[in-house]
Amino acid sequence: MKVLVSWLREYVDIPFKVDELEERLSMLGLGVEGIERIGSDDAVFDLEIAANRGDLMSHLGVARELAAATRSTVRLPSGDVARDRQTVSEFVHVEVREPDLCPRFTATMLVDVRVGSSPEWLTRRLEACDVRSINNIVDVTNYVMLEMGQPMHAFDFDRVRGGRLVVRPARSKEVLTTLDGVQRTLDPQTLVVADAEQAAGIAGIIGAAPSEITASTRRVLLEAAVWHPPMIRRTSKRLGVRTESSARFERGVDQASVPSASARAVALMQQVGGGRALDGLIDVQARRVPQKQIALNWSTVPRVLGTDVSLNEGVATLRSLGFQAEASDGTVRVVVPSYRRDVEREEDLVEDIARHHGYERIPEEMPVEVTAQGSWAPSIDAERAVRDVLIRTGLTEVLTVPLTNGAALEMLRLPDKHPYRDAVPIRNPMVEDHVLLRTTLLPGLLHVARSNASHRLTDIQVFEIGRTFHPNRAGAREQRSLGVLMTGATLRGAWNLPPESVRVTYYTLKGVLESLLAELRVPEAEFRSAQASWLHPGRAASLTLGGHAIGTLGELHPDLSRALDLPAITCIAEVDLEALLEHAVLQPRFVPPPRYPSMRRDISFVVDAGVPVAEVEAAIRRAGRPLLESVELFDIYTAAPVPEGRRNLAYALSFRSPDRTLTAEEIVETMGAITRALEKGLGAKIRD
Amino acid sequence: MITVHDIDRLGAEAEQAIRAAGDPKALEEVRRLYLGRKGKLPELFRQVPSLAPVERARVGDQLNQIRSRLEGAIETRAAELSETTSTTALAAEAIDVTLPGRRRLLGREHVLTRTLQEVERIFHGMGFEIVEGPEIETEEFNFERLNIPRDHPARDAQDSFYITDEVLLRTQTTAVDARVMIGRTPPMRILTTGRCYRRDAPDWKRMPVFHQVDGFMVGEHITLANLKGVLVSFARQLFGPETKTKFVPGYFPFTEPSAELYVYFNNQWMELGGSGMFHPRVLEYAGIDPQRYTAFAFGLGIDRQVMVRYGIPDIRMLWDNDLRVLEQF
Repeated sequence: MKVLVSWLREYVDIPFKVDELEERLSMLGLGVEGIERIGSDDAVFDLEIAANRGDLMSHLGVARELAAATRSTVRLPSGDVARDRQTVSEFVHVEVREPDLCPRFTATMLVDVRVGSSPEWLTRRLEACDVRSINNIVDVTNYVMLEMGQPMHAFDFDRVRGGRLVVRPARSKEVLTTLDGVQRTLDPQTLVVADAEQAAGIAGIIGAAPSEITASTRRVLLEAAVWHPPMIRRTSKRLGVRTESSARFERGVDQASVPSASARAVALMQQVGGGRALDGLIDVQARRVPQKQIALNWSTVPRVLGTDVSLNEGVATLRSLGFQAEASDGTVRVVVPSYRRDVEREEDLVEDIARHHGYERIPEEMPVEVTAQGSWAPSIDAERAVRDVLIRTGLTEVLTVPLTNGAALEMLRLPDKHPYRDAVPIRNPMVEDHVLLRTTLLPGLLHVARSNASHRLTDIQVFEIGRTFHPNRAGAREQRSLGVLMTGATLRGAWNLPPESVRVTYYTLKGVLESLLAELRVPEAEFRSAQASWLHPGRAASLTLGGHAIGTLGELHPDLSRALDLPAITCIAEVDLEALLEHAVLQPRFVPPPRYPSMRRDISFVVDAGVPVAEVEAAIRRAGRPLLESVELFDIYTAAPVPEGRRNLAYALSFRSPDRTLTAEEIVETMGAITRALEKGLGAKIRD
Repeated sequence: MITVHDIDRLGAEAEQAIRAAGDPKALEEVRRLYLGRKGKLPELFRQVPSLAPVERARVGDQLNQIRSRLEGAIETRAAELSETTSTTALAAEAIDVTLPGRRRLLGREHVLTRTLQEVERIFHGMGFEIVEGPEIETEEFNFERLNIPRDHPARDAQDSFYITDEVLLRTQTTAVDARVMIGRTPPMRILTTGRCYRRDAPDWKRMPVFHQVDGFMVGEHITLANLKGVLVSFARQLFGPETKTKFVPGYFPFTEPSAELYVYFNNQWMELGGSGMFHPRVLEYAGIDPQRYTAFAFGLGIDRQVMVRYGIPDIRMLWDNDLRVLEQF
């Protein structure tokens, strides 16, 4: 909201220069968003007014704060006017059909007015506040709005049919051309001010063309009313119309000062446009606003602020803000002025006292409560553990926007019924790209890879930990998810190394997940061959825990990497972190290092290439119990002399007992069992 | 007959030979010649028994001394020789030490995560319990329990993405405050960090998703002065011990009095967030008696702060995930 400093001076003495005024206003909570200087000692301030301070939406309101800051009082504008013998009620009839939405409606009239242009002092002030000058009558309504915060509307009385103003809901499909030139079709949700026949303006928001003041207007009907703030807010949002008037009514306008604002306007209209003011004011008010009284226990002030403010200072502040305040026995009995709609309880008064005392004078003190120990929620700890492991494996964290659209999913070429397609729509999206909540992290990661690849960055190893969203009966369920994308080299300075040894493959990605599983001490996780529409059909797996798939991983389908301009071998995984963390053990538990030596034996055998290594390992482990400690594959060989369709696997096996040194006989026995299991169970042929 | 003089001469001769030996092989030859089983010194030892009893002890003694002296000299010489040998051999194994090292790619946190964790650590150090809450919220927790009823103008500044009539993406992490207060008994010091959503089209300074930190403290003697103490300490830990701060009156429906926190950074005042004393109604909604307890609360925006701190000109760069940017933090 714009205020002109020289205009403020009409109501209060301002002993500050412009710079100091800026500082003062902002320390009072009137944020200064901009200053436009005029000459050496005048300026227009653009102030940010809090949503609960309708009373500050005027020069008078701002002057009141400055008066309190300088311990003075404001000079109120005059509304004295000579009234005619004729009374308004002889001409005008007002009917308020919705008293809840229109707590007060007043009307008064001026006759024999000469409509013309405004004097220079008036237009200058309006223009300084970004209000365009229309004519002297309309300008006065705007002037009083800027001065006292009361928006008004002036009608050409001779175009108000039946001499009636009716506050009523619009009729269904009622058409109205508002002053912004827009023809609007209304509905009963919208409150209008109508004449005997049809709507003449949208209540509290904008007037209409047919009854506007024109050069030929002689009789002015002046409406000054107060409207229900939520109604104004809803209507203005629904119609997409925000005006100076709606901005004030939605914050709340003082119901008690409507007549004085009306009188002020009449006085000014007469000053600039002549004419006679009819006697009386039509004033429809369902009920008066009760006077608010608050007993402020002075001990509340230090209890809230943590510092003492003297009672005298507090009372003086409240009084210069317009409160009545009487202190006795440590309690201040306060009567709240009608324009302070925001003040309801002690704390509200404490804030006014604190603002004028100065926030900078409140000390900085560390609390002396019961000593508390910092802690982290287990879910935060767990998420951090996951993040740390991934970073230690060399991955960089990315964050992507959880708002998405259907096109992002199309990237994955999902079948019709895929669960990723079951996304939660946003009811009121803002842009086309953000109409759904993501169900998977994969499209985001692919997008990251794609944009980096477009900068010729092809060594991309990234992960994201984020939430995905899925419909449920309450609306949406959120789930923590982990996504990993890897492509390119994992080593810099790889001169003379065979490129394939440093380039990401499926096994690099699997290794990352294995490290994660090991660090989280998740038992019994298995990787099984699987299919996913976005993955290479022969290089895709699911990660399963206790038989349930909790993730997929694999090499991106070559068609996809080609379509997205990604490096040929791009690997990608997504894991349900919620499910994974259920099985994680984050607290390390000490296991003493073994006291007895281990013995190593190698075994090499030929087996059908179709037998997965996981199965071979499982067979070895079963047969090797209880002495077999570890199984490590160190070679796979498929060329001659190994027959077609078979492969040679070589394992290093290590044996150990926790309570003795093993004998050669014991190992021979166990090796025998392993050999038999491989031969009988898997048709392996052992090589010497 | 051996004489003391003979022994000395032999000793001197052997020592010279040891020094003269040019390689381990020559040295071994010298050792064999003097100390070997058929060497010159054992030869003399063998003659000892034939000496007069008076002479025997003296000569034996002297021979022993010479022997240990020679053994020492051989050892020393052997060490010298082996050193010179390996120096030459290792010279052939030299590499170009200026070739590029094999560098594993190092992973790192996103700068937003890093900042959130920095903030969490600071408050953790001040005894705060760090919690988290859902991103999908109800109007009740996101607004109503925070003293923002339907049609409150403050809702305008927090235009929300709705899922159903009552369910929305949270617009502020303050919603978590309202959640965690329920059923707890003061004192409490609680902090939460996370993502929030507001209905904005992405541009250089706004994204529809952003990060916030919210914290509060409830107790019998919590004051606005405590709020200042805690937040000033936080700002100094994050921005440095000389950091200038200021508190300016503000308006938030859930606090009364309310204050905005600014820090002076890079020659300008930067708004860190909002704060104040919890409105008594917010405590009442959570079942906490405002007559007995007071509480301060604060909410800090993180994304804007990261931009200012690191001089990132466009907020979208935080979401582009350009590795050339991510790798700088």
